[in-house]
Amino acid sequence: MPVIEIKNLSKTFINKDSTVEALKNINFSVEKGDIYGIIGMSGAGKSTLVRCLNFLEIPTSGTVLVKDKDLSTLTAPELRKLRCNMGMIFQNFNLLMQNNVLDNVTFPLTIHGTRKQDARDKAMKLLQTVGLSEKALSYPAQLSGGQKQRVAIARALACDPEILLCDEATSALDPQTTQQILELLKKINRDTGITIIIITHSMNVVREICHSVAIVEKGEIVEDGLVEEIFTHPKSKAARRLIIEGKDPDQWENGEESVPSTLPEKLMENRRVRIVFSGTSSYEPVIANMILTFSSQVNILYADTKDVNGIARGEMILGLSTDSAIAEKQVSYLKERGLAVEDISGEASEGGA
Amino acid sequence: MSSQEVMMIAEGIVDTLYMTIVSAFFGYVIGLPWGIVLTVTGKDGIHPNKAVYQVLDTVTNIMRSIPFLILLILVLPITFFIVGKTYGSTATIVPLVISASPLIARMVESSLNEVDKGVIEAAQSMGADNFQIVARVLLGEAKISLISGATITTGTILGYSAMAGTVGGGGLGDIAIRYGYYRYQANILWVTVILLVLLVQIFQLIGNLISAKLDKRRV
Repeated sequence: MPVIEIKNLSKTFINKDSTVEALKNINFSVEKGDIYGIIGMSGAGKSTLVRCLNFLEIPTSGTVLVKDKDLSTLTAPELRKLRCNMGMIFQNFNLLMQNNVLDNVTFPLTIHGTRKQDARDKAMKLLQTVGLSEKALSYPAQLSGGQKQRVAIARALACDPEILLCDEATSALDPQTTQQILELLKKINRDTGITIIIITHSMNVVREICHSVAIVEKGEIVEDGLVEEIFTHPKSKAARRLIIEGKDPDQWENGEESVPSTLPEKLMENRRVRIVFSGTSSYEPVIANMILTFSSQVNILYADTKDVNGIARGEMILGLSTDSAIAEKQVSYLKERGLAVEDISGEASEGGA
Repeated sequence: MSSQEVMMIAEGIVDTLYMTIVSAFFGYVIGLPWGIVLTVTGKDGIHPNKAVYQVLDTVTNIMRSIPFLILLILVLPITFFIVGKTYGSTATIVPLVISASPLIARMVESSLNEVDKGVIEAAQSMGADNFQIVARVLLGEAKISLISGATITTGTILGYSAMAGTVGGGGLGDIAIRYGYYRYQANILWVTVILLVLLVQIFQLIGNLISAKLDKRRV
């Protein structure tokens, strides 16, 4: 049963002289315990989308169901109570700068009427979870970015929420700290079964931690599903850019070219395929065998390994034989060996499929 | 200076402090909630209400634009109604409060508007209601700015209290006008001026000390 279900959600901002359709007919659902990524470039509407999930932003139309409750039918006190059951962390941490770490973490508890001492005991436990017990009496200004986000996570977990919303939670952090925060989120997800929804513009974050992903472009979901599935068979243009070209959404703007764009013209004429090795297919030297079988060379244009949900995935772009009959056979050969094969010929001229 | 004059100046200091502190206190009793309502009902506030905001905003502007000396005379009937007389330091408190409240409201509004919108949003995401946001987020996060606002306001009130001396308002300003201006006693004029300057300095110093002590944003 999904914990969150979004149906036909739209959000339109009406200003004095313009109307902006921030979100158009969004549909998706998030299963309990999932880590769900929402990726898109800045301005795609993903921050508005996550705010619709706890009604910080009220959708223009459509429904948001959280544990089968339609948020639009709740009274203000019911909504506030439900919000406590959905923690949220932010890009800029948003801690109370004039309160120490402990008081920041007890804040959500005390506003819902928990006794001060009980709130403190709870907060100390949470600070231990995020590895900051010794900083309880420090003030946010004395902490590093990563530590501030840990405090924010502890605060978001204070009410034992079943859902955690992360709005660009690692965008203000350096790669190493990002890694640590993602590890922490993974651990919390494993230990408590909390459902996590992550808004990001970085494919790395999605690959690192998400099980499912929705790709948002210009206010619409253009593709969604399991990260592994999309990684091996990207369908939409946006997904191909993300996965085949390895471009994060913010680099899309001037992005009609594809990865091997620096290759000589001549090579671009060949039939090109992207293949993905899963864990089991790595034992057989497939490429070498293929060359021997057809006595025709292939060109390795690009190769990389990427970590998808903790599983190493090999990825390769091959320029196949110029003889189209042989190229066809080579493709079927690769498919027979259980590899995911994606034809990306002509990507440069057509600007993607 | 005769010992009588010294006694008079000492009394003047007490009167000035009395007017300033009591007026600042009542000024905040009125101006703080006023400023909070301005912030909350403003366009980017946590409970926007155009009608309420515009009425309060207009009233604030009108009251702020009346010069203090004129206001002092305009409100004489109110002063008489509340205090029972129109001269002396207690009577001066009434126009001081009326004049300080809108100033304080504006100071409070601008301090509260400085609070990071992200922190307010975080509080909302945790299910805080508007009352809790005002009490624990807005006032708490803006406290340093509020204190420096209070320091400035107190200095202004002290200056206004001296102005009230022209109509027999009591305090150091009154002495400066009666002895320095009407009787050409330059020594008394200078002593009162120096004392007024010192008082403002002391208020400023106290304000700065409190801010520095309470501010947790610095490492």
